[in-house]
Amino acid sequence: MLSPKMISDENPQNIRIKFRKVGMLRYISHLDLQRTFAKVIVRSGIPAWYTKGFNPHAKLVFALPLSIGTQSECELLDIRLSRYMSCDEVKERLNSVLTDELSVIDVYEPESKFQDIGYAKYEINIVTNGASDDMADNIRALFSKKPILMFKHTKSGEKEIDIAPLIDTLNVSYDGECDLIRLSATLSATSENYLSPEMLITAMKDSLEILSTDIMSENYTIMRTALYLADGKTEFK
Amino acid sequence: MSRNYRERLDNVLRAVQKPGRYCGGEYGQTLKDKEKVKARFAFCFPDSYEIGMSNLGIRILYGVLNREDDIWCERAYAPWPDMEEMMKKYDIPLTAAESGDPLSEFDIIGFTLQYEMCYTNVLNMLKLSGLPLRAEDRGDDMPIVIGGGPCSYNAEPVADFFDCFSIGEGEEALVEFTKLYIKMKEEGRYTKKDFLLEAAKTIGGIYVPSFYDVTYNENGTIKAYTPIYDDIPKKITKRIMKDMDKSYFPDKLVMPYIETVQDRIMLEVYRGCIRGCRFCQAGIIYRPVREKTPAVLCRQAKCLYENTGYDEISLSSLSISDYSQIQDLTTKLLEWTNENKVSLSLPSLRVDSFTKELMDKIATVRSSSLTFAPEAGTQRLRDVINKNVFEDDLMRAVNVAFDAGKTQVKLYFMNGLPTETSEDLEGIAKLATNVVNEYYRNPNRRKGKSPQVTISVACFVPKPFTPFQWETQDTLEEFEEKIEYLGDCVTDRKVRYTHHDPRTSRIEAVLARGDRRLGKALEIACEEGFRFDAWEEYFDYDKWISVIEKAGLDASFYANRRRDDDEIFPWDIIDCGVTKEFLMRERNNAYLGKTTPSCREKCSACGANTLGGERSCCPQK
Repeated sequence: MLSPKMISDENPQNIRIKFRKVGMLRYISHLDLQRTFAKVIVRSGIPAWYTKGFNPHAKLVFALPLSIGTQSECELLDIRLSRYMSCDEVKERLNSVLTDELSVIDVYEPESKFQDIGYAKYEINIVTNGASDDMADNIRALFSKKPILMFKHTKSGEKEIDIAPLIDTLNVSYDGECDLIRLSATLSATSENYLSPEMLITAMKDSLEILSTDIMSENYTIMRTALYLADGKTEFK
Repeated sequence: MSRNYRERLDNVLRAVQKPGRYCGGEYGQTLKDKEKVKARFAFCFPDSYEIGMSNLGIRILYGVLNREDDIWCERAYAPWPDMEEMMKKYDIPLTAAESGDPLSEFDIIGFTLQYEMCYTNVLNMLKLSGLPLRAEDRGDDMPIVIGGGPCSYNAEPVADFFDCFSIGEGEEALVEFTKLYIKMKEEGRYTKKDFLLEAAKTIGGIYVPSFYDVTYNENGTIKAYTPIYDDIPKKITKRIMKDMDKSYFPDKLVMPYIETVQDRIMLEVYRGCIRGCRFCQAGIIYRPVREKTPAVLCRQAKCLYENTGYDEISLSSLSISDYSQIQDLTTKLLEWTNENKVSLSLPSLRVDSFTKELMDKIATVRSSSLTFAPEAGTQRLRDVINKNVFEDDLMRAVNVAFDAGKTQVKLYFMNGLPTETSEDLEGIAKLATNVVNEYYRNPNRRKGKSPQVTISVACFVPKPFTPFQWETQDTLEEFEEKIEYLGDCVTDRKVRYTHHDPRTSRIEAVLARGDRRLGKALEIACEEGFRFDAWEEYFDYDKWISVIEKAGLDASFYANRRRDDDEIFPWDIIDCGVTKEFLMRERNNAYLGKTTPSCREKCSACGANTLGGERSCCPQK
């Protein structure tokens, strides 16, 4: 760890920003989020470190890109500071130029590298025809069989993969009061084996005809709620 | 189906392209308590979010209105056709970005009319708001619909759909208008008619089309505009801001999350133009020139930079290199922009005032291309249109660009200009080839790279309030022939040739100089589902001709008719400061091939100085 006096343009300090991206902002793409943060950093007035190239820009490194439509309470962004500023002040300055739907939860010195992220946890709420305890049982059964073969779009075309080993834990319940199916899933989130929560939706659509009618009567929300190390339970910091 | 339209809107966003257009929640937007404000204003841009968010006028007027505690101004844009389909399917009304409330709940709906081809979007937005299209069908309990922007200088084709127009610069007029609305509501004496009458009588620049009877001659031209009340103006004089240094300029912006067309700070340097190109409407209607001082501009730029975080500032004006203090301004700006990694860009460059010094100061890294607008291919025709640019100027300018390592040059031209001959068209191709040759002659050119010269050719559209307002537009056949001919003239493989669609330009010409009778055609167009006609993929020429015919009208009456010298125009009801006599003088000079010096060299007595204005180059009236 660097002492405040040692932090300089030659010796920048790494800090990690944990932020939420919720509500309507789930429709903002990762690329647009990157562009937004470049401007947020400037207007916050925090002493961001700039790259030294032809086209200098603040160095921003995001942990796990979020797909459009997914909300999150645990997004991570690493930036570098070219002089000391306390984490509290960084947080305060950032939040003064952000909105409720995109706001900073915490700022701290990173404890691990993004490569050490093993799992991400998601809460998925589904409004669908025929939601019931039985349907919850069927979903549970669907995701406990092995293998679970699915097609995944990759750069080299469609590829069949088994998603079963990528699911660490998965709890399903039917919330009768709200008439919702609730899924709580911890999914592999390493760079080699990233399982998108949308894949679970696709699996349910394909096998159980969930979410098969009109978008007005059936819909779902996904919230990323936590990131874990490779053990699937220690919070990634 | 979900309980309310908000939930329904939420649900459909997953199913549309670019949902970021509709999600709102931008940093920098103004939120107020709707129970506490006295008037709610919906500022509508009748095109996509990406284009609307880029408009400088809205950025200014949004701030001006929201500066007033009792007014809440919000924004609305035209939903893209995929979204529109969803809105119709699921009964979702058009809503404002900030509150998400339907437009029909607002007190005043304002449309900025930036180009004629957006008229169908205006009507479609009213339709999607569940409001009657025609002003006469909207009662006292419905929003007032007001228009403004460049097309309001001849808004007659859309006059039936608007309660009124604000002519000229809106910073003061819109606030006065909304305050009058509040006052009459508070005093319990509001009816739409009484309010509009009071506004027409007391607020400068407010034009209420329904207060003027229009009669026509047998040949279809205008006979007279007759005010139906004695105490309303016979001509509506445009409003201007007299002192641009003191005029409101925003200190923050609504920050889009998605990329927009002008995703940068636009610093308005001055209004008006010293030139007077004879085809250009903006060069006339924004007169007189009124400059800001460099110190004020620097302060405004820095403030916007700090409050937005943008890393690019575009110096925005009709012809930026004509700003009298451009060197001083750019030097002062560079004192802090370089240090903060902010780049400067200049949107419009005149070849005669483009220098190496200026080139060195603007964003040089990011783009390898520069754009110039000679507009015509021969000196004779450039003199006719009063472009006052010579081939030598262009060659000097491209050499500055080539010296700096640029390899791509884009040149804008027009075809169909008055007096044009085949020689002028050949001249376009020759000029482009000369630029290519100039590249190879330049010893400092980037080695091992071929140049690319793109010529982009637009079709001339005669516009109101220009010296060419009496002229005919070429027919579609003539345009097509010329486009093909020019294509044959371009033989150099380093020259890329692109041209505009003459069919769009023809409809634009019909609407630009149209009269009120075209309202019927637009109404039918709206019924038939027209929208986004400024977008090639949605524009259908044959359908346009068919709706014009269904309204009992003839496109060639508007597009291809040379007007008599003494014809009364639909836009004669508007006084833009510049006199019709000046425009006629300029037209005669055009035919003589005689150029007119810029306002800075010599006053040509256009009449705009009667409007006043600080730091103009006009003689005092």
